[in-house]
Amino acid sequence: MLKIKNLHATVGGKAILKGLDLEIGAGEVHAIMGPNGAGKSTLGNVIAGREGYEVTAGEVIYQGKNLLELEPEERACEGIFLAFQYPVEIPGVNNTYFLRAALNAQRKYRGEPELDSMQFLKLVREKLEVLHIGDDLLHRAVNEGFSGGEKKRNEIFQMAVLEPSLAILDETDSGLDIDALRLVAEGVNRLRAGDRSIMVVTHYQRLLDYIVPDVVHVLADGKIAASGGPDLALKLEEQGYTWLEQGGIKALKQEARA
Amino acid sequence: MMNAVGATPLIEQWSEAFRAVPQSAGPDWLQELRSEAARQFGVSGLPNRKTETWKYTPLRLLEQQAPSIEAAASASPANDDLPQTVVSASSGMVDILNGRLIGDLPETPPGLTLTPMADGFEAFGATLQRLLPAAELAGPANAFTALNTAFLDQGLIVHVAENTDGGSLLLRWSRLAETSARLDNFRLVVLLEAGAKFELIEQFESAPDSRGVLNVVTQVELAAGAQLGHVRVQRESEEATLLTKTTVGQAADSRYRYFGFDLGGGLVRHELGALLAGEGADTDINGAFVLDRKRHVDNHISVDHAATGCSSSQFFRGVLGGASRGVFNGRALIRPGADGSSVRQSNANLLLSPLAEMDTKPELEIYADEVEASHGATVGQLDETAVFYMRTRGLSEDESRRILTAAFCHAVTERLEDRDFAERIAGMFDAAMPGGLDSAGER
Ligand SMILES: Nc1ncnc2c1ncn2[C@@H]1O[C@H](COP(=O)(O)OP(=O)(O)OP(=O)(O)O)[C@@H](O)[C@H]1O
Ligand SMILES: [Mg+2]
Repeated sequence: MLKIKNLHATVGGKAILKGLDLEIGAGEVHAIMGPNGAGKSTLGNVIAGREGYEVTAGEVIYQGKNLLELEPEERACEGIFLAFQYPVEIPGVNNTYFLRAALNAQRKYRGEPELDSMQFLKLVREKLEVLHIGDDLLHRAVNEGFSGGEKKRNEIFQMAVLEPSLAILDETDSGLDIDALRLVAEGVNRLRAGDRSIMVVTHYQRLLDYIVPDVVHVLADGKIAASGGPDLALKLEEQGYTWLEQGGIKALKQEARA
Repeated sequence: MMNAVGATPLIEQWSEAFRAVPQSAGPDWLQELRSEAARQFGVSGLPNRKTETWKYTPLRLLEQQAPSIEAAASASPANDDLPQTVVSASSGMVDILNGRLIGDLPETPPGLTLTPMADGFEAFGATLQRLLPAAELAGPANAFTALNTAFLDQGLIVHVAENTDGGSLLLRWSRLAETSARLDNFRLVVLLEAGAKFELIEQFESAPDSRGVLNVVTQVELAAGAQLGHVRVQRESEEATLLTKTTVGQAADSRYRYFGFDLGGGLVRHELGALLAGEGADTDINGAFVLDRKRHVDNHISVDHAATGCSSSQFFRGVLGGASRGVFNGRALIRPGADGSSVRQSNANLLLSPLAEMDTKPELEIYADEVEASHGATVGQLDETAVFYMRTRGLSEDESRRILTAAFCHAVTERLEDRDFAERIAGMFDAAMPGGLDSAGER
């Protein structure tokens, strides 16, 4: 699904990603953990195509295509979805209108017929019901005045409607209450399928109790410093990142070899 | 103050035109008022760069065209030649072509009367004798009111009787293409008696190659508890100048609600002044504009709180592309003793092009106690993070920019009570949006 090789990227002239390698197979869920400022959001933004994030070396291949050549909206239409760490408020643009315009833009790109407002409303109601989200958010402007948790729910709702092939969730669990956390996890688990991949960026092992990942990576200083199974997250929770820096990685690699 | 500006060729030309006008019918006081007005504009001349309230609105277009003032030939164009109506009003439509009433006035429901100015001096003599001289004439800032008064001839009086609902009336102002530029004057008087209700909708349009100036002075009087809704939809041509001045006098508990939508025009200036003279009067003034090319729109709003417990709101949004220019001046004066007033003001503008320019100035003067006041004025660009966010959901860059820009104006259309009408106006704004990056010139 996604193959990243030796990715180097700068933001505002500062090197952030420094030779990152990552491969996510179809149907897999990968968790990315790592200290603040390590470059996790940068990775998400580079994959989504944000301006100002300059790739200086390396490649990103998505479903056999060179992703870096595509505009952000083309990437979206090809099935990439980024749930923002800080979802953006768009005053004056109705949530439902926005999402329908987005879905129809994607359907048009794929040569599928656009949904009229009745069809769209039906789809939206289904998604809201399974996600246990009230429909009050629908009538408001996109994220405007939403609470932190409501913004995150709205990201998951958008994801559920757009049904991406590769979803990147950037700390979607931060700032959520326990119920909302379950809801986010459920949204993700519903999306899990053989032809879909998910990348979950998180600081908390707790989310991984609900979304059990196939692989856990540690991103530190712009590189993948370590990779392992779900137990790696548990170990990090216990020991913290300093443990990794003080030789934990070697220990881990030996463990993996054994 | 006399100055050399008074002697410009244009003033000479118009003074000459004034002398040539046969003194038309009307009472003596009117003849005197006309002469006094002619004297005033002869002395003051046109507003210029030194005229504070006109500083950002140069009259180059008008000076280039040097429009002549002469009575328009009465015309009866085919309906196809006139612009499509923006709304169908319950009490009918009045057509004003090149500043002249044309066709028959509509049959009106009981309580609503429409009277051409020429016939009004009998039915509304005392009111007109009080109201018409009340318009300020002195100084270059009021030159166009003086001009309007000097040439006072064409006009309409709208009257709604006590405690009646006059429904809604559409005024369709149109201008056809002309070979030489003209300046047309018109006086509109709107009188709502106590407890009356009325909706006035004005649409201003002109043929693509029409030029010249339309100069309209509107005087509104709202008696106690009267409610007037006033909407204006302006889509004039790029060569057309539209100068309008509206004054609203409000008695106790009256309510004035205004929406101005500017979607075109070459040089457009609207002065709107509300005087909250009676306790508990309320005025709500809203406007939105979208400009491209070299269009210029100037909104000068002023609200005068002269009684206790009144509230006023000014809410304006502007989008500027191309090399357009916008001016917003929002003044609110809370006089001593006007305690317990509430005054809100919000003006936000979006610049889509490095060549566009917006001058915005809130002026809040508070001399009373227990006043609730808020104001904010911004000039900015589109939020690039929002553009990116929308693109990551699949919308193209152009579409994202278009939606964001239109949303900016929807903040005003959403305040309209009539949902269908709001949607129609929102659609006009969507269609008028400068196409994202393209219109921004070099970007
Ligand atoms: N526009 C910018 N200019 C300069 N530095 C930037 C810019 N944007 C991000 N950075 C820096 O890049 C580094 C990586 O940021 P990034 O947001 O990717 O971290 P992160 O791993 O997501 O951290 P967190 O866990 O706190 O979300 C940080 O040191 C940050 O300050
Ligand atoms: Mg981050």
